[in-house]
Amino acid sequence: MSSNTDARPRTPGEWLQFGAGSVIVTVMCFPAIWMVYSAFKSNREIFRSPFGLPAEWRFENFTKAWIEGGLGALFLNTIIVTGLGVAMSVFFASMAAYAFTRLDFPGRRVLSRLFLVGLLLPPPAVAIALFTQLSALGLINTLWALILTNGAWTIALTTYLLGGYFRSLKREMEEAALLEGANRFQIFWHVVTPLVKPAMITVAILNAINIWNELLFALLFISDDAKRTLPAGIVRFSGYHSTDYSLIFAALTITTIPIMIFYFICQRHVMRGLTAAVAE
Amino acid sequence: MTRGALRVSNSTGATGAIRAGATGLIFVAPALVLYAAFVLWPLASSVYYSMTDWDGISQARWIGFANFERAFADKIHLASYLHVTLYILGTLVFEVSFGLFMAVLLNSDRPGFALLRALFFSPVVLSMSAAGVLWTFVFDYRTGIINASLKGIGLADWAQPWLSQPTTALLCVMLVSGWKFAGLYMILFFAALRRIPRHLYEAARLEGAGPVWSFFNITLPLLKQNVLVAVLLAVTGGFAGFDLFFTMTNGQPYNSTEVPATWIMKQAFDNDQLGYGIALTVILTGVVCLISLIYLRYAERSHVVEY
Amino acid sequence: MLPRTHALTRRAFSLLALGAAAWGSASLPTLAAPAEVRITHSMTGGAQKEAFDAIVAAFEAAHPDIKIKQIVYDDDLYSDTGLITQLKSSSPPEIYFQWAGAPTQRDAREGFAMDLSEALGAEGWKDSFIAPAFSQQMGVLNDGKPYLVPITLDVTNVIWYNKQIFKEAGIAPPANWAELIDLTKKLAGKGETPFVIGNQELWPLGNWASHIASRVVPPADYEAAFRLEKPFNTPDFEKALNLVDEIRLAGGFNKDIAGLGADPAMSTFFQGAAAMHPIGSWLVSSAAELAEKDFDYDEFNTPLIDPAHPLKDSVIGTLTGFAVSPKSRNPQQAITFLRFFTSPENQVKWAEAGSFSPVKGAMEKAKLDPKTKAMADLLNSAGSLVPPPDTTYPVEVAEAYYQAAAYVAGGEKSPKDALVWLDDRVKTMK
Repeated sequence: MSSNTDARPRTPGEWLQFGAGSVIVTVMCFPAIWMVYSAFKSNREIFRSPFGLPAEWRFENFTKAWIEGGLGALFLNTIIVTGLGVAMSVFFASMAAYAFTRLDFPGRRVLSRLFLVGLLLPPPAVAIALFTQLSALGLINTLWALILTNGAWTIALTTYLLGGYFRSLKREMEEAALLEGANRFQIFWHVVTPLVKPAMITVAILNAINIWNELLFALLFISDDAKRTLPAGIVRFSGYHSTDYSLIFAALTITTIPIMIFYFICQRHVMRGLTAAVAE
Repeated sequence: MTRGALRVSNSTGATGAIRAGATGLIFVAPALVLYAAFVLWPLASSVYYSMTDWDGISQARWIGFANFERAFADKIHLASYLHVTLYILGTLVFEVSFGLFMAVLLNSDRPGFALLRALFFSPVVLSMSAAGVLWTFVFDYRTGIINASLKGIGLADWAQPWLSQPTTALLCVMLVSGWKFAGLYMILFFAALRRIPRHLYEAARLEGAGPVWSFFNITLPLLKQNVLVAVLLAVTGGFAGFDLFFTMTNGQPYNSTEVPATWIMKQAFDNDQLGYGIALTVILTGVVCLISLIYLRYAERSHVVEY
Repeated sequence: MLPRTHALTRRAFSLLALGAAAWGSASLPTLAAPAEVRITHSMTGGAQKEAFDAIVAAFEAAHPDIKIKQIVYDDDLYSDTGLITQLKSSSPPEIYFQWAGAPTQRDAREGFAMDLSEALGAEGWKDSFIAPAFSQQMGVLNDGKPYLVPITLDVTNVIWYNKQIFKEAGIAPPANWAELIDLTKKLAGKGETPFVIGNQELWPLGNWASHIASRVVPPADYEAAFRLEKPFNTPDFEKALNLVDEIRLAGGFNKDIAGLGADPAMSTFFQGAAAMHPIGSWLVSSAAELAEKDFDYDEFNTPLIDPAHPLKDSVIGTLTGFAVSPKSRNPQQAITFLRFFTSPENQVKWAEAGSFSPVKGAMEKAKLDPKTKAMADLLNSAGSLVPPPDTTYPVEVAEAYYQAAAYVAGGEKSPKDALVWLDDRVKTMK
């Protein structure tokens, strides 16, 4: 949409619209803002005047939360799980999506239907069976338990979304490459992959946010504090220190700020990624 | 979301797929192996374990349909489906409808609106566990800001143990769910609103129609497809709901916020009844698949989904 | 496994990663090498682990032909999956840490744990333990035979109280139930919160409510009900839940009891926002971290309810101990070690590291800090030990009883209705 209408002065109706929108958004953001500035207060201040600004900005709350919560390890584990999980699902899914949309091979229809199942299945529906299977494989309490399961669980949607994108691409370049004697793998790697890069980035962001925030598997498959990811670690930490508000708010702030910064930097991609799953 | 994306043209002509034989399978293999190992196989093995009395440690013993008989006599289990239905209805109000309302409200090119949309969307990227923990503090009886605000404006009598009363706990979870996800639906509807030609509204205005009339007679009919997609998402997402319930109430008070996911995890991992827990997951899978099928039937008829 | 699960997770059940370690250690011993005794447990550090290491070192010095190898896992991990994988491996460790009650009895049935009748019967070893350790209900026995060498006793529920609040209200720990109700009323009248309980996971009140029931219901009926051989809806159980109801009617419970977590409740107590907090002995170790330095607290046992009841002065608690794998390579050497470990001298060291030793005389001889000493005295004065239902009976039945107690404490159901609900609830579990 063009924004050439912006120059007109706002009508009273538009002011009302903007005012109402601002009020609602402010109310909704308040708990998060409250969390951030409360993180700088002492517990006594939080209890005495829950809404007041801190008399003294205690940055040491953050150091304490970082150390006591072992947040460094939580971040590292989450980064490893998210990074490998996303890489695995996006790479494998793009290969599969390419095959499903561009190649004809035996079993294609059946296999593509099978992937549809994964779009509807709620994770709790197989969480227990998955737990027993991972136990049998000796993967419980390793980051691999989370990398593999998250990779596998995001693969269906990723394949599906990328498939949609593949079909919107023109085939000329691939056909030209084929005529020049390139094999399928060369075509995929040198011709197709560069073309679908924007879509891959979008689904990668979608998967990254989903895996970064994943809680159920992280609770079930990891019991060792040193191997927890952020969502599970935060639940545990806040349970244990449950009335040390300033400490928990500091930990929550530390863990949410990076993802918020990431979001505001690549807002467009994030919004597109998260709504792609819905809108398509 | 299940539009036939994975299905491709069957012809092998100029616009169709290239015959690739086994090469095609090589491309699919990595994804398939991963997916089969960690999604399909557990799903299949669930069917076997659901008919055993397995405790996770001793040898599993075949007990036929006993777990299912128990599941249908287990009143808390049955109630969990009632609660999840209420929760889904709640999300239709606090997520879908509220998201739609905000999409209309924030649909403007004026400066500031893009920021409002970005802020309104931001809870979507937060983790559910962080949201749950944060809101548990907001609702806390002794020190939460809701009760503190009520005391501050002289309504101390209205202060409640919000998450400890069966009458309010589920509603609180719904509200937080709305806070968390309304932004997602807002952006979904916002994108669709942008595709509605502006001249439709202008024509209506010239004929003297107000914005409310326009919303119900122009906007809503044109957004029908998006609304149906949003409803499917809310329904399937609702059945998968676990994180907020786990972090905020864990099924309490008095099982009034028990949903299938929380109840299943308790049976399996607190009570060491993996066989029974797995039987409950089989039921959950069945229910979700049934609802999706009915939905797809309906959606197909109203041309939301194309094959 | 879920951080928020009930007592089960506290009692630790984890075994998986242990499997890998067990396989890893399956190297072939050479003929000249000392016999290896592998011990798997979940003491990852702290005073207990130091004491244990010291005793192991002393043992190795005294027995050069035996080498001890420890396989250590984090608490949750050990109980979830770590132990079971080891037990199921082809080369299980000689000695493993286990909880008395259902886990030990399961191990006995599955052949994971060795019948220790012969070993404990020899040279009066068994008699060196306090008598309640081998009582039927504590769960060391299966079919009358011992399968566990008890090493530590944990108190599952006592009533901790804020000394300052008690002093200001002019009250002292109660001698009987009526006094407890009186002081609850007095505290509530002053605007205090008499009890804070975070019952979101049901076991915090549930443990206490089952201790109360075990003091009211005839022991045989109590056990039969939890084993689903008799109904819960009896006048005796109703009387027990009526006692819980009395506390509610006296304004005893915090308003958010049903939704509050166990840890937040403990923190609330440490903040001085409630006069009493019924929970287990682990409160002492949390106090160091969560309470202000000048916070002064003490504990009393659930007061006398029925002077005619055989368990009138019981303490509710669990035993943990070491079991021996019959399929391991060196079970005899394992027993040699356990005898050494449970000798009175070593048990004094064990007690001084903060464990409640079940070996006679150990707690008396040990130099203890005042809080631990008070707990030891409480245990000594106990006429009997009662285990919490969730480690002894089918967990889902225990959980259903806890839920019934929660209904009563929240005023959601009358004791009678709660019991009707309970019998209906357990109907599907038989």
